Amino acid sequence: MFYDRDLSFIYYGPTRIVFGINSSRDIQAEIEALGCRRAVLVTDPGITKAGLLDRVVKSLGPGCAGVFSDVPQDTGIEVVNAGAAYARKCGADAVVSLGGGSVIDTAKGMCVLMKEGGKLEDFEGVQLLTRWQTPHVVIPTTAGTGSEVTCMAVVLDKRKGQKIFLLENYNTPRTAILDPALTEKLPPLLTASTGMDAMCHAVEALHSIQREPITDGIAMHAIRLLVRNLPICVNNGSDLAARGQMQIAATMAGWAFNNSMVSIVHAMAHSIGAVAGVPHGIANGILLPFGMEYNLPEAAESYALAAEALGTREKGMGEIEAAESAIRAVREFTVRIRHPQRLSEAGVSRDQLAQAAELSVSDGAIIWNPRPVPDSSDVLELFQKAF
Amino acid sequence: MAKLKAFTQEWMNAFRRRIADSKEYREIAGNWEGSVSIIINPDPARGVPETVYLFTDYWHGDVKDFLVCDKAKAESADFIMSGDYIRWKQIARKEIEATKALMQGKLKLKGNLVYVVRNVKTVNKVVDLLGEVDTLFPDD
Repeated sequence: MFYDRDLSFIYYGPTRIVFGINSSRDIQAEIEALGCRRAVLVTDPGITKAGLLDRVVKSLGPGCAGVFSDVPQDTGIEVVNAGAAYARKCGADAVVSLGGGSVIDTAKGMCVLMKEGGKLEDFEGVQLLTRWQTPHVVIPTTAGTGSEVTCMAVVLDKRKGQKIFLLENYNTPRTAILDPALTEKLPPLLTASTGMDAMCHAVEALHSIQREPITDGIAMHAIRLLVRNLPICVNNGSDLAARGQMQIAATMAGWAFNNSMVSIVHAMAHSIGAVAGVPHGIANGILLPFGMEYNLPEAAESYALAAEALGTREKGMGEIEAAESAIRAVREFTVRIRHPQRLSEAGVSRDQLAQAAELSVSDGAIIWNPRPVPDSSDVLELFQKAF
Repeated sequence: MAKLKAFTQEWMNAFRRRIADSKEYREIAGNWEGSVSIIINPDPARGVPETVYLFTDYWHGDVKDFLVCDKAKAESADFIMSGDYIRWKQIARKEIEATKALMQGKLKLKGNLVYVVRNVKTVNKVVDLLGEVDTLFPDD
């Protein structure tokens, strides 16, 4: 039996997808299609330096109300508040985000404040909003986070020293423009690690306790696209056809985990990121096979599906055998794309593992793990294996 | 023993007693501090003519005030959960999980999600104990 007989779920994925090489040139038409006139463009200094901002500003033409380019790597409440104040001053009625996760989350926060007023802290919570927020068009410049189709924003509250979550269906981006040309210059390691972030979204959506048939199907095809295209992108970043398929895979994996959620691998990646500064994609890529091994007793069925998508399930293979082949395949895949294999390669020291393990069991993602995690000792063992 | 009418002070007292008497709750909830209010949207067709406001308060395994209250008191809580009557009834009867209902937008939460999920065992235990209160719902 694949699914519980009393399966019940809501699948939610309202974002319009515009795909194609140079599709970001359509930004003005997409803004108008949303019934808006002038958009504030949100980005970060790296995107500006790379020359990507100029392209989009030009395409927006008179529809560009202004540019807010002060987004740091981990965005904060004060950044969102400043961005919203700027957008109001510009008279913007829409938001365009151009960048990665931090930029997109900043824009999501701004959308709420532009519509509802107040301060971001007032909106900390889950599904509080009762109407659609300011229209938001996302133009991602990496292929990994999936944030262009998710309802979640994570913003740092420096004053309290903690991240706040806004989880709002009514604040899901209206449109995502996937333009492979904007990811062409991503260096190989960043290509590999952001790609493994997407792989992790897909695999974790498959093994989550909230998995369901729609997200399983989406996650499986995301895996197929990733396996085929990520190695090509790592070896030849200029292959825009492969870059495009990677963007589609990341978006599909975003849909999958936005509905099914992620679990232990993300919990561990968040924690080792907080303790040792390991970039999120790299942490996910290293930890994924170890998390799969841990979950194997409870998630063989899910990993057998992953094996089908990875192309390792052979005729006559039983479920466990197929699941084990998926774990091996993920590990071999990370070698093939020259992704770091061990936490020690990513600047982690052994004495940081215990703290990261403690943090992991209190991370929100852990509650969706298929195998219950009784305490931090199991996680510490996993960290040690991955060290 | 007769069933207790849902959302009355008598029912709240019984709910409080269930939690206070639970050794397991005391062990699980050692880290939880803070008040939680429950807001039940009106549903006249099912016997809930007006919004119901409930206030509950927890402190490191102990339970404090459990009150049927007014809007102002409910909105003073550290965490505010709100939703339609039918959803709350489904949760009390364990027909849906509270965390899943939140993620799916069937319930709303105002407050720090990270803190809630960090203490999800506490939340689930409280919901389990709520289910043990012999309750007469307005539309039963």
